[in-house]
Amino acid sequence: MSIMEYNGGCVLAMRGKDCVAIASDLRFGVQGMTIATNYEKVFEIGPQLFVGLPGLATDTETVLQRLKLRVNLYELKEGRKMQPAVLTAMIANMLYERRFGPYFVEPIIAGWDTKKQQPFLANMDLIGCITVTDEFALAGTCGEQMYGMSEALWQPDLEPEELFESISQAMMNAFDRDAVSGMGAVVHIIEKDKVTTRRIKTRMD
Amino acid sequence: MAHHNFDRFAAGPLWHNGPTPGGIYNFPGRQVEDSGRFQERSKQPITTGTSVIAFKYDNGVEKGVAIAADMLGSYGSLARFRDCRRLCKVNNQIIVGAGGDYADFQYVQSMIEQKTIDDECLDDGFSMKPRAIYTWLTNILYNRRSKMDPFWNNFIVAGMQDGEPYLGSIDKLGTAYEDNIIGTGLGMQLGVPLIREAIERKPLMSKAEAQQLLVHTMEVLFYRDARSFPKYQLGFITPDGVTISDPLYLDNQKWGFALYKK
Amino acid sequence: MAVVEPFAGSRPMEANRFSPYSDNGGTVVAIAGEDFSVIGSDTRLTVGYAINTREQSKLFRLSDKTVLGSCGCWCDVLTLTRVLTARLQMYNHEHQKVMSTPAVAQLLSTMLYYKRFFPYYVSNILAGLDAEGKGAVYHYDPVGHYERNHYYAGGASSALLQPFLDNQVGLKNMTNATKEPITRERAVAIIKDAFISAAEREIHTGDAVMISIIDKNGIKEERFSLRKD
Repeated sequence: MSIMEYNGGCVLAMRGKDCVAIASDLRFGVQGMTIATNYEKVFEIGPQLFVGLPGLATDTETVLQRLKLRVNLYELKEGRKMQPAVLTAMIANMLYERRFGPYFVEPIIAGWDTKKQQPFLANMDLIGCITVTDEFALAGTCGEQMYGMSEALWQPDLEPEELFESISQAMMNAFDRDAVSGMGAVVHIIEKDKVTTRRIKTRMD
Repeated sequence: MAHHNFDRFAAGPLWHNGPTPGGIYNFPGRQVEDSGRFQERSKQPITTGTSVIAFKYDNGVEKGVAIAADMLGSYGSLARFRDCRRLCKVNNQIIVGAGGDYADFQYVQSMIEQKTIDDECLDDGFSMKPRAIYTWLTNILYNRRSKMDPFWNNFIVAGMQDGEPYLGSIDKLGTAYEDNIIGTGLGMQLGVPLIREAIERKPLMSKAEAQQLLVHTMEVLFYRDARSFPKYQLGFITPDGVTISDPLYLDNQKWGFALYKK
Repeated sequence: MAVVEPFAGSRPMEANRFSPYSDNGGTVVAIAGEDFSVIGSDTRLTVGYAINTREQSKLFRLSDKTVLGSCGCWCDVLTLTRVLTARLQMYNHEHQKVMSTPAVAQLLSTMLYYKRFFPYYVSNILAGLDAEGKGAVYHYDPVGHYERNHYYAGGASSALLQPFLDNQVGLKNMTNATKEPITRERAVAIIKDAFISAAEREIHTGDAVMISIIDKNGIKEERFSLRKD
């Protein structure tokens, strides 16, 4: 078994019309055994900036802590909030420093670019190879399932409510076909001037 | 057979005096020696032939299948045998081309020849059609792979079936498919795109044009395939019958693209 | 390739061992309706990153009310379907009737399990009409475990398409959807959508889809182009 599948879990993000959504499942497990059902893998880094860190849970925590440190230092030094693109570059650099002994997380960054006034969505592999996309990004143990769902349900320029429906359906049906993901989900919809967070109840098996 | 005999799990026979469906069926009655040790029989090709390429052409007036293979028998990276004929005429409507182990090919060739003789002896006026040879070869190759003792070959069956061009391919596992353009090995990666492009540009091709295209493809393959050779044979199957050329040479080679050419 | 290597003996034997199996890709999807079944397969045949042909359907018409979709190790598919066809012929001659879809389903399972210790490396989906004329879809693992269902995806893109079918055909996670039987048009449309999605992300799936629609009047076939890259 790959170390990326030790704890299970998945993150999916989609871009819509002047909005972007990012969601994660809530399961935390050790191989087949479920330990907790309230383990979010998407974290708020700024007012309209979220990062999803699916993969090995211990590295999720470590990367998050190291990231918070750097974001704080950046914001103290620069006296302004961090833009999503900057955060993406920062994470990529942080991961590439560990090129030959990587953190086992595949980050997804979703946020609102306050400079360009448009949504931002990017993901990268565990050593920091960035892909910026205006469609959808995903990572986790049910990646294939999420690709199948997202290719079918996503379309350009979805309104926030439609985007919520697409990302929720895509994620739920995907992780229902994965034994080590699921147990509910959390969805954040990021718009120009607000962020909506919803918890979704799903089948618990 | 004692080591992998699954028949003892089977229900009583559904019918008698015939082949067992699903059982490993020994095709032309030849019993392969079974030492019971897989390792001894899994092997590698020794003297090998490289790609074979073939395609169908049809311009309403002239139609048929064109096929080509070079004549090198490679021994590892050594260009050892220079007169290996890899196209064989089966009857007046079929050519079989082979790549891979040359000894295996010669053995299969002798089987095909024996089968042709058997058919001839029936004296019923019929001769095998290309699809029959294709299916037969598929079964033979699949049976040998199932014994973990494969014939290490790629075969291309080209012919005329009921007045229409026929082209099929079989690999050492018994993986078989039909198509309008077929190449094996590097012929699939370098040759097929060239031929496809040419046919898309000119879908209705005469025999002369097909021959020109085939020679051009052999030339390109010779430039880039390190296991190839400038001596080759062309085969044509038309409604009039089968022709396999005498050995031809790639003259007019253009090595201008070679950077350090003197 | 190279055989006469002086140090060949020092390499572990495993490195060069002959494998009797290959993965030739391909995807099959089937949906059963009230009085019909739809089954589709792509037409791409691959070995590794090479495409052997773009025109190889993986659907095998077994009778006027049964179609088998089969993919995986293509040489096993060819052999399995050839033997299966022979057995159906034998049944035909012995009983003077066409074998029913549930009987074909059981026969296929038995044939797969017969090779339990040297399996056919094949994903099978059987679609047809049962004895009552209802749509039936059966799916198999390589050694003969089988199950009847309303819909199923198998082969290279099964992981991508199965949750999509759960959602769109099984209406899973749809809180206010009314469970009414799926129409023929919708079933065909879903299969097309499924293959379009799969061809985007799965390189072993593409080129075209062959769709067979089975009802009491027989089998209708349809072809639908996919991306070819």
